[in-house]
Amino acid sequence: MTKVLVVDDSNLARRSTRKILETAGHEVVEAEDGLRALERYYLDKPDVVVLDVTMKDMDGIEVLKRLRDLDKAAKVVMVTADVQTSTRDMAAASGACGFVVKPVHAKSLLETIQNVLTEESPCN
Amino acid sequence: MQLTPLQQDAVTELINIAFSRAAASLSDLTKCRVDLDVPEISVHKIGEVAVSVGRFVRGDVATVHQVFTGPVAGDAFLLLNFDGAVHLVELLTDTPTAKGTLGAAAREVVTEVGNILMNACLGVFGNLLQVRFSFSVPKLSLEDLGFMVQSLVVSDDALQHAMVVGARFRMRESEVTGCLVLVLGIASFELFLKAVEDWAEKSLAGDQT
Repeated sequence: MTKVLVVDDSNLARRSTRKILETAGHEVVEAEDGLRALERYYLDKPDVVVLDVTMKDMDGIEVLKRLRDLDKAAKVVMVTADVQTSTRDMAAASGACGFVVKPVHAKSLLETIQNVLTEESPCN
Repeated sequence: MQLTPLQQDAVTELINIAFSRAAASLSDLTKCRVDLDVPEISVHKIGEVAVSVGRFVRGDVATVHQVFTGPVAGDAFLLLNFDGAVHLVELLTDTPTAKGTLGAAAREVVTEVGNILMNACLGVFGNLLQVRFSFSVPKLSLEDLGFMVQSLVVSDDALQHAMVVGARFRMRESEVTGCLVLVLGIASFELFLKAVEDWAEKSLAGDQT
């Protein structure tokens, strides 16, 4: 079973992402902001992180950088409605392994996670 | 009107998606990166909207107004701080405006930007909520916020509500603050919230978030 840390400041987004992941047989832990995400990552050691970009206080790109400082092998999939190419580039440059556009479709999220876990999506 | 926790959560997520798309449209237009803060949302009776709007824009504002019709009908207003509107025009036309003013050509640019942003935003609402909107031709006004807020009361209907979405975004290190105000009659507002709840429940069923 794959353990996935879902980080999003939207309760709705966390709950619905959890539903998608648990239906697919994954174990889910949640964090509602960047600091809690770093704490949960350290404590739960998830196989992959699904991380929202636009969040209050510490945005997803900053969280991503700190996660990668914490663990160079951290596998992080960014989730955002921001479809700017520069955002995708920044995420990739900061070490994101995958990128999923909101509203998230189950197939897209699960395929991306699968690719990340099988290292078909290399991380920087 | 008080939103339930589910409605508040769903509206916030919906706005987040819509504004991110609108920011991407703006980035395409201006060819520069747009960094968007998390939008802030509140709902008020129409007579109580001034304080909320005043948290995001003050003084002279550039306002683009569009009427939208369909199952959910109302008025959409995009308010930009005047300096921000000038900055947008300079980015889009690549030329400085005369003494920070907005001439006829510059006003056309702001109107078109407003049109694109509001269509991007409401288009996301329409697609996700499965509601079809039609839009009127956008109209621009440049005036003091106080006068602008008075004109937000688009009819004598005391049951009108306004959803105020405030957003700050930065482009080339300049901050532009804007505010989207949707004015809806009570029937449209209830339909809108029902559509939002349906979308949220569909999301929670695991179809999409």
